[in-house]
Amino acid sequence: MRRNNLLRTILIGLAIVWSLWQLYPTFIVGRQKNEAENYLVHIEQQTGLQRDEINEALNAGQLESRIRQRLHDKSADSLQALLKEAASLIALHDKISKNDPKTIKRGLDLQGGTYLVYEVNLPKLMRDVAKNKDARFEEFMKKLDEVAATPNADYFAALQTSFAEADIRLNRYFGSRAQTDAQILDELKREADDAIDRNLEILRNRIDQFGVSEPSITKQGSRRVVVELAGITDKNRAKNIIGKTALLEFNLVKDPQIFQDIITKIDNLLKRDLAAKPDIGATVDTTETDSTGASGKVSQDKSVNVSDLFAGSSIVPSDSAAASSDSVQVDKDIFSGNPFISLLRDVGRSEVAVPAQNVRAVERILNNPEVQKLIPPDAEFAWSNKPEKVADEQYHYLYLVKKEAELNGALLTDAQQQIASGAGMTRQGEWTVSMQMNDEGTKIFSRVTGANVNKRLAIMLDNKVVMAPNIKEKIPSGSASIEGSMNAEEAKDLAIVLRAGSLQAPMQAIEERTVGPSLGQDSISKGTWSAVISLILVMLFMAIYYKLSGLLANTALALNLVMLLACMAFLKATLTLPGIAGIILTIGMAVDANVLILERIREELRAGKTVRASIDAGYDRAFWTIFDANITTLLTALVLYQFGTGPIKGFAVTLMFGIAVSMFTAIVVTRVVYDYVTRRYNLKALSI
Amino acid sequence: MMQFFGETRIDFISQRWKAIAVSAVIILAGLVSMIIKGGPKYGVDFLGGTVIQVHFPQAPNIGDVRQALAGAGYGDIEIKTFGAANEILLRAEKQEEGTAISDAVMNALRQAFPQNIPEERLVESVGPKIGKELRTAAIWATLISLALILVYVSFRFEFIFAVGAVIALFHDVLITLSFFSLLDMEVNLTVVAAFLTIVGFSLNDTIVVMDRIRENRRIHRDATIEKLINLSVNQTLGRTIITSLTVFTVVLILLFFGGDVIYNFAFAMTVGVIAGVYSTVYIAAPVVVEWHKKTEIQKIRRGVKVA
Repeated sequence: MRRNNLLRTILIGLAIVWSLWQLYPTFIVGRQKNEAENYLVHIEQQTGLQRDEINEALNAGQLESRIRQRLHDKSADSLQALLKEAASLIALHDKISKNDPKTIKRGLDLQGGTYLVYEVNLPKLMRDVAKNKDARFEEFMKKLDEVAATPNADYFAALQTSFAEADIRLNRYFGSRAQTDAQILDELKREADDAIDRNLEILRNRIDQFGVSEPSITKQGSRRVVVELAGITDKNRAKNIIGKTALLEFNLVKDPQIFQDIITKIDNLLKRDLAAKPDIGATVDTTETDSTGASGKVSQDKSVNVSDLFAGSSIVPSDSAAASSDSVQVDKDIFSGNPFISLLRDVGRSEVAVPAQNVRAVERILNNPEVQKLIPPDAEFAWSNKPEKVADEQYHYLYLVKKEAELNGALLTDAQQQIASGAGMTRQGEWTVSMQMNDEGTKIFSRVTGANVNKRLAIMLDNKVVMAPNIKEKIPSGSASIEGSMNAEEAKDLAIVLRAGSLQAPMQAIEERTVGPSLGQDSISKGTWSAVISLILVMLFMAIYYKLSGLLANTALALNLVMLLACMAFLKATLTLPGIAGIILTIGMAVDANVLILERIREELRAGKTVRASIDAGYDRAFWTIFDANITTLLTALVLYQFGTGPIKGFAVTLMFGIAVSMFTAIVVTRVVYDYVTRRYNLKALSI
Repeated sequence: MMQFFGETRIDFISQRWKAIAVSAVIILAGLVSMIIKGGPKYGVDFLGGTVIQVHFPQAPNIGDVRQALAGAGYGDIEIKTFGAANEILLRAEKQEEGTAISDAVMNALRQAFPQNIPEERLVESVGPKIGKELRTAAIWATLISLALILVYVSFRFEFIFAVGAVIALFHDVLITLSFFSLLDMEVNLTVVAAFLTIVGFSLNDTIVVMDRIRENRRIHRDATIEKLINLSVNQTLGRTIITSLTVFTVVLILLFFGGDVIYNFAFAMTVGVIAGVYSTVYIAAPVVVEWHKKTEIQKIRRGVKVA
């Protein structure tokens, strides 16, 4: 039987040339990056520019002007020398960016980076779009929260059935009166679906402006967004920018007198509630622990456990989970007379200060349905977005604002961070964010400010009050600015999220995987070393045990590795640490295929067959064994690919290609060589 | 010709009950330990929670770390060193959805150690919902690949071979799982990947032997199944030993030099490779042997009735 070896030889030749062609960019870019690194370090030293700044200038094509700027006082010679280096660096940079897409990508676990999964917070979205919310509605929502936490559960179906079971039509809380349940449900679903696509857009916008190189932002399923950020230095900032809903609203602050009335009413309600349990006063006295050190009026403040304080109150339920960690500060003289007011400070102004310790207790009181009834329907409480430190004590501020916003961030055309000049209320050097509104926004803003002079307007971000300045006069220009202790980064980030717009639906992070750059480097070197050591040991063994035939198998093994990497470069697959493990295992599989063939040939030789016949029989008999063994491994690799996430997928990919390539190299490549040698030299004995 | 073994005639099959007893003891110990501990020790991938690996320039006092975390409201975080004394592993189990505890924890540590600023090396934070999803996915992945193998091997060989092979694979995964439970090691996503790789390797080995049995059956038509299996195992022994040794070497190198991130993966592979080679001869083959014996007896009985 003559085999068509010419065709096979051509095929193998093509495969080798193609592999080298695919790997060339990876090889060359690696060298160029090393070269660029030398220039970068030198320019860093000479100019004092940060690495990030240099890269930014490189991308913007402004490196030379930046260097001139920095070195204007140095001698012309040293400037010229450095400019020459910069020119080489720019040329290198261009080459690298041209070839970089063709190189083998390294996964986040190897180069360092963050992998984040966000999910649309459906319960929150439903609460946001609902109207006429009452205690009953909250009951429904609580039950549905469990559905939202169950994998693969259909939230909307559960929503429908739970309302239908209670015989309540959806239009009581959602949509308009004329709509049927089905219509409302469709609308809610569409809203959620649209929201995720809009969110994706907005996130891309935000991350682009934040300046991460090659971010990957993809939709996963219908409610999730996966964000992959490689090599970022400040992960917290990035997460802040991504996760923030950034809903900007302007709400009028309610009259202080109304606020005061409500507080008094809550106080009375609480007092009545507590009076039903006469032993409470005694409890407070006995559980007091003296928090000494403060002076004056504050010295009367006592740390009290919230569940002791409000034991028996139906308004402040002492749920066991919260009780253990909740202690509040109350003024003991005031408490017996004014249980609610004792939790607050500075009562009587248009905002009320609440010590950080008391915030949770106050929140629980405010969320009580009985208390909610006391709040006018057009108003709501809002907290300040940051605590303020006054005399060693952290205070949060509580505002009463009009429920309906006068205008919102959708009407902005621009937002920029600025350093304040010192005019007006800002101190010089303080960071602010100035905003410009569009025509419609300008009109509304002008009308609202004109009609409410000497009232306060709260600028709210995600339902927290950022600031609530007094309106001094009508503002016709449509420009406003946000002030308040921000540093440069916070101001920049706020401007970014305001420009990109608010998310259409609230999202929450449900998975995060971060690998620090040093660990990534560590993994690369350890993974590479393991691969190299394994390869050397295996090859050494093969050469000793099987002599020339072993060397031939080794050649196939090396070719296997080259072709596997070429496949990965071609398919733009990402090399992860488990991927390297996959490659190492592929080495094992490839060795097995060779061992199977060689052992079979030995057997045939022992049985007294000629060299040619032994080789033929060895390959023929071993083929189906190798085939079956590899197919089953391929099956498991496919399943892994289907079910795995991130790094596991990387492992499955290398395993799949490794199997395919190793069958080719072990069966086809070595066979052609044997055929060639035996035909040419008519061997009497085989080196095996 | 350099050879470890010439032509061997070891009677493997006669020792099968002793070998099965050894496997049974290990698996039983593993199962008991899993029952006592309430299941395998799942990592945050499956349980939900957060793991943070922190690198300090100098080894910190663990008590100080604990105090810093307790001050920030994270008193229940598990703290231990990881390899070197300046590598700290923090682990918080079961958290609410969407809580970013890693940021708060790192901030607290940075503030508490201003002279010894810690570096965040690794964060794995998985919400309870994703944890449940990954757990289901892992179980499905394992079951589906076993089912696919059952189908493929029945198609290529005989149904009873496929049954033997799949039981052997179950055995391998169980043995590895038992070792993890007994040594109190964590089962995470990469360990499940290791399970599936073990399944692939073990099957590889089983198929090589089965292939030989299939071939030998054509040559020695009247040999008993025990003889056939013994012959086939002996004939492929050279290959089995060389391949297992090379794979074992590779896996050991991964175990010792691969780094912390894939240590559990490499450990699972190390146990699995040994179990995989052994299970071909002592689990898959006995299943085939016993089944054949039974059908032989049934054939004879039926034959008697007819006659």
